[in-house]
Amino acid sequence: MSSIVSLNDVHVHFGSSRAVDGVSVDVKPGEVLALVGESGSGKTTLIRAVQGLQTVTSGEIAYTASAEPVSEPDGGRGRGNRGVQMIFQDPTGALNPRQTIYEIVAEGLRIRKESQNEAERVGRALSRAGLRPPERFFPMYPHQISGGQRQRVVIAGAMVMEPDLLLADEPVASLDASIRGEILALMLELVEETGLSILVVTHDLGLAWNIADRVAVMYLGRIVELGPTEQILGEPRHPYTRALLSVVPETTRMEQQILIGEIPDSRRIPVGCRFHPRCPLLQSGTLAAEVASRCTTEDPGPVDMNADSAAACWAVT
Amino acid sequence: MNQLVLSVKDLAITYHSASGPVPAVRGVSFDLAVGDSLGLAGESGCGKSTLANALLRLLPDGTTTSGEVMIDGQDLFALSPGGLRAVRWTTGAIVFQGALHALNPVQTAGRQVREPMLIHHTVGSEDEARVRSRQLFERVGLPANQLDAYPHQLSGGQRQRVLIAMALACDPQLLIADEPTTALDLMVQAQVLALIAELRRESSLSLIFITHDLSVLTYVADHLAIMYAGKIVEEGPSLSVFQNATHPYTRALAAAFPTIGDPSSRLAPSGLAGDPPTPGALPSGCPFHPRCPLAEDRCQTAEPDLRPAGPGQRAACVLV
Amino acid sequence: MTSLAMQRRRATAGRVLAQFRSSKPGVIGFSVLLLFVVIALAAPLLADVRELNPVFARASGNPQWASPGEFGALGTDHLRRSVWVQFVWGSRVSLFVGLAATILTISIGSVVGIVSGFVGGRLDAFLMRITEWFLVIPFLPLAIVLASILGRNVWNIILVIGVTSWPSTARLLRAQVLTVKQRLFVDRSRSLGAGNGHLVARHILPNVSGLILANATLAVPISILTETTLSFLGLGDPSSPSWGKTLEEAFVNGAMVRNAWWYFLPAGLGILVVVLAFTLIGRTLEEIADPRLGQSR
Repeated sequence: MSSIVSLNDVHVHFGSSRAVDGVSVDVKPGEVLALVGESGSGKTTLIRAVQGLQTVTSGEIAYTASAEPVSEPDGGRGRGNRGVQMIFQDPTGALNPRQTIYEIVAEGLRIRKESQNEAERVGRALSRAGLRPPERFFPMYPHQISGGQRQRVVIAGAMVMEPDLLLADEPVASLDASIRGEILALMLELVEETGLSILVVTHDLGLAWNIADRVAVMYLGRIVELGPTEQILGEPRHPYTRALLSVVPETTRMEQQILIGEIPDSRRIPVGCRFHPRCPLLQSGTLAAEVASRCTTEDPGPVDMNADSAAACWAVT
Repeated sequence: MNQLVLSVKDLAITYHSASGPVPAVRGVSFDLAVGDSLGLAGESGCGKSTLANALLRLLPDGTTTSGEVMIDGQDLFALSPGGLRAVRWTTGAIVFQGALHALNPVQTAGRQVREPMLIHHTVGSEDEARVRSRQLFERVGLPANQLDAYPHQLSGGQRQRVLIAMALACDPQLLIADEPTTALDLMVQAQVLALIAELRRESSLSLIFITHDLSVLTYVADHLAIMYAGKIVEEGPSLSVFQNATHPYTRALAAAFPTIGDPSSRLAPSGLAGDPPTPGALPSGCPFHPRCPLAEDRCQTAEPDLRPAGPGQRAACVLV
Repeated sequence: MTSLAMQRRRATAGRVLAQFRSSKPGVIGFSVLLLFVVIALAAPLLADVRELNPVFARASGNPQWASPGEFGALGTDHLRRSVWVQFVWGSRVSLFVGLAATILTISIGSVVGIVSGFVGGRLDAFLMRITEWFLVIPFLPLAIVLASILGRNVWNIILVIGVTSWPSTARLLRAQVLTVKQRLFVDRSRSLGAGNGHLVARHILPNVSGLILANATLAVPISILTETTLSFLGLGDPSSPSWGKTLEEAFVNGAMVRNAWWYFLPAGLGILVVVLAFTLIGRTLEEIADPRLGQSR
């Protein structure tokens, strides 16, 4: 079975903090996979690891041949993958205010010393990102364009490299509501036109509903539920996913399950199931005694990445 | 009709920048009865935060305002500095977004909650203030031992609760919440929204809740007002505005955050072309016409006023 | 796309120029400086260099301790030399030493600051300890020791000033580099595969160059004052008549006691005005480079 990138039991630890604690998942060609979680779930650390900006403590991130990481030209610390490109939450911060749009989009080509047809490729990337006519934007500076256009420039800067995988870190979280849809539509369009895969990290379940083929729900450094979007957002099985979905303002009304407290510190991951101290199912007392005791003592382990859908919960498996 | 805690008539606010006047709010009127709640929604630059700050006269110097704001029966713009101080905190209090910046990092949470009480003499002594701050912490769902915590020792959600406790310190009639949940996680946002709803049930607190996320407002607001380019473009009871929006902008805003489970939005994100206008350079006629999917020729010249658009609902669009 | 790059550079230059022009202190500083630069460059036309030689002065029949009315525009000193000639030629030495020492200071400071801030880790700790070492050493005794060991000539004075005054520049730049390094566009570039050389050249340097320039303009007056101090203490180059040297000779030969104000006042005022001019220009450039300082919003 083919995949663009395959994560096998990836751990990223910072001292005693286990930010990413055993994640296995793969991204298939042409699919949009949404990694959903709250802050502290480790999703941002994970996406940085896939990009190569973050060293992995253990486990393996395997890319297909075209997305193979190349060691960088002048031997510095960064490790860029030509076939894996990234877009960011804050497009304003992601653009150097002293560079023109042209220079920003051409940067990847210049780093890789691919100077043939540079202007043509930059123009094509800009118009693919919806900035037309591209020549109008060449000499402009980031402060001269709007927030939505800045995100399009960031996307153009990634697309100029013709990646197989686009990593998106909260791509619309800092944009105005009415612009959000346009950027998401653009991402879908890119998938259709170029066969690209997208791994998008977000706390926004509406975004997943809008564009994702599959959803992976992260809690405290691990994927706790994984499956097709319709199933995860339609009939969630893991109690955390269910609680999360119940509080989304956009849900067709289901009874709210507001969890108490916040995600615990990743330096003190609870024993047993990492979700058990906040689990409404366990607290309801409806679980059979032997299941309940497993919840507090035994780790259900990572979800099976090869199953169609899976939830890391003793009560559902 | 109930007694009004707030009545705003034709309020216009203009900033003055180096490149000329910037009309941030261009004639906004609304009333808020005691115990009612109003949700103000709009995007960046629509004037919603300017409006919120104007309600307690928190605008920078050199800003021009016209129109009338009556807060608890008093003319806001005629108040003396002393009278104004009394109105802030005791009549109306504001909760800002970005809870980290709104708290003083070198004072404990408890001290910051006690401070407004002592300044406004709503308590007789420091001891009384301590008792009251403990009650407030309980009311906003914070354990009493966190009275002695410094802001950096609290999580984002806890800090937002401290800010709410601070705002409630002097028992205001009106709470103005400016994007209080924007920086928070989904679950924490739900906790804070539930808290605000509970506070309103317990007392006759009036609420103005400002956000860019329309769907949040259906939880906390009885009435909705949608702002675009410094004006209210649609208003009415919150559910009917959310579900039966008549202004094309409201419809776009409502569709921006999809209903999960609704097949029509599955793999079909919906948005508007173009960007919100900058207040310094508004389009002619209806300021929404360059982005409006239904715009006609007449929209380019005349700016429509609010007109009836259903029961209790009004919209500023020539098509209603 | 070289034409595009040139266009951009021209646009940036135009913007900086326009902003500079709109600042009154900047324009005043620049005009004053321009005047002194003209004086320094035109020294051979304005004053006969031979007049600096006491033998020549005596042979010319100049009076001793003549006040401005009695001889020329600015009178003479104890060795019958024209004070005007000393002032004109002194401006040359003072400005040259000031500029040359600044180039040295800024070069050392920038390299240390950028490397320290960008590379971080142990190298940063090491470089910062050295910087602090230079910062806490009392500057004047070190300069005096260095100047007396190296010998009294203009190049050594420049070296002494350069070696002793770079630490503040290094610390300032390190702080700025640390801020720029955190910006998301550096991450973006790194994720595109950029190496450290590219990051420094394309992202770090352009975002700190304004600060370097502003810092340089503020370092010139410090260098001029240091040169003055060293010369005044008798550590200057005996063959180069800087303003500091003039002040020293005036002091040593009792110009203050004799009330011969014309001897020390021109050099003193010259230093004051040039230092002020550079400070005004530096502040203006700093405001342009760092918008947070200048704008109220």
